[in-house]
Amino acid sequence: MTNLIDINPSLIEYAHRYLQRFMAITVDELKALLSYCEIRQFEKRTVIVKEGEVDNYLNMVVKGLVMKYVRVKKSDMILQLATEGHVIHSEISFLTRTPSLVFVETLEPTIMVSLTYDKMEEALDKFPQGERLGRLILTGMYVKKEESRYHRLLKSARERFLDYLNAHPHMLQRVPQKYLASYLNIKPETFSRMKHLVAKQ
Amino acid sequence: MELMAWTEPRQFEKKTILTRPGEVEECMYFITSGLVRKYFLKKDQEIITHIVKEGGILGSGESFLTGEPSKYFVETLEPTVAFSISRNKLEDMYKSSKKWEKLGRVITTQYFLVQEMRLMDNIRYSTRERFVKFMNDNTDLLQRVPQKYLASYLNIKPETFSRLKHLMNPK
Repeated sequence: MTNLIDINPSLIEYAHRYLQRFMAITVDELKALLSYCEIRQFEKRTVIVKEGEVDNYLNMVVKGLVMKYVRVKKSDMILQLATEGHVIHSEISFLTRTPSLVFVETLEPTIMVSLTYDKMEEALDKFPQGERLGRLILTGMYVKKEESRYHRLLKSARERFLDYLNAHPHMLQRVPQKYLASYLNIKPETFSRMKHLVAKQ
Repeated sequence: MELMAWTEPRQFEKKTILTRPGEVEECMYFITSGLVRKYFLKKDQEIITHIVKEGGILGSGESFLTGEPSKYFVETLEPTVAFSISRNKLEDMYKSSKKWEKLGRVITTQYFLVQEMRLMDNIRYSTRERFVKFMNDNTDLLQRVPQKYLASYLNIKPETFSRLKHLMNPK
């Protein structure tokens, strides 16, 4: 376990910050939880999960950038862009043990801490308050999805563009524009035209 | 303690607003008969995100789970009978036993999955395909729900919805 932490000191920090959102958790408890996990490293542009495969992992990005997308009639629609401290995987596939409808792929060299489905079951059962933590994490995921759906239905393309880039200004540098446009459900031409709205301050 | 003991039986007339925007959602409702919708206003337009009939669970979920004010209306469309559970009771129930905590996790997972699968359907299927799929799964709703509500729920223009009706399997 010590080795895992040595690989990247940010690991403890990100994982702790993430879990503290749900319940008070000591560093010792965190280390006990991390003992169920493994560290995985990928080159950039590695497809981690393909459509049709069962996703066996729940991942938190420790370093790097990962996207999730669905292929609709040959064109890819970006559903999620995950950076340091974010959780990403094929949720439906992982939770229902069915073939994934989406792809998960790295955009940068990436390190992540990953939990398999079996280890998750074990942790839910054995870790004190495992069920509670599991429920609260799921609740958080649910609320986040609902908020993003509300946002998509309510806001205009211009508002979605501004809200996202004001909250995540570094993403313009890290992510190809066509992916950001797809993620925000904005036409690439429109996205280019809007860039002056976030000109350097 | 039995599961039902944490809940409260409730009865509502049709067109009863259970939750308004700005209010914190205090309850989730397990619907045993009737029909409930959840919607928000975009300018003057109602955008319906949920239509739930008997056997389903509804409430302003994010507000209930976070304690933040609701952005949505929750309203009955028919006379409705439900069991409600309050946030406090639910917390007490979770604390009372690991079994109920687990049930909570499983129901939350299910709730999340239903929503996620709907999102995927919206992305992967055409308007026409979504219409056919929904209507074959919920034939009864065409009689029970005003068409403009179903169109809003499916994110289909009302005119398109009318045109698509011929696709339904004749009885």
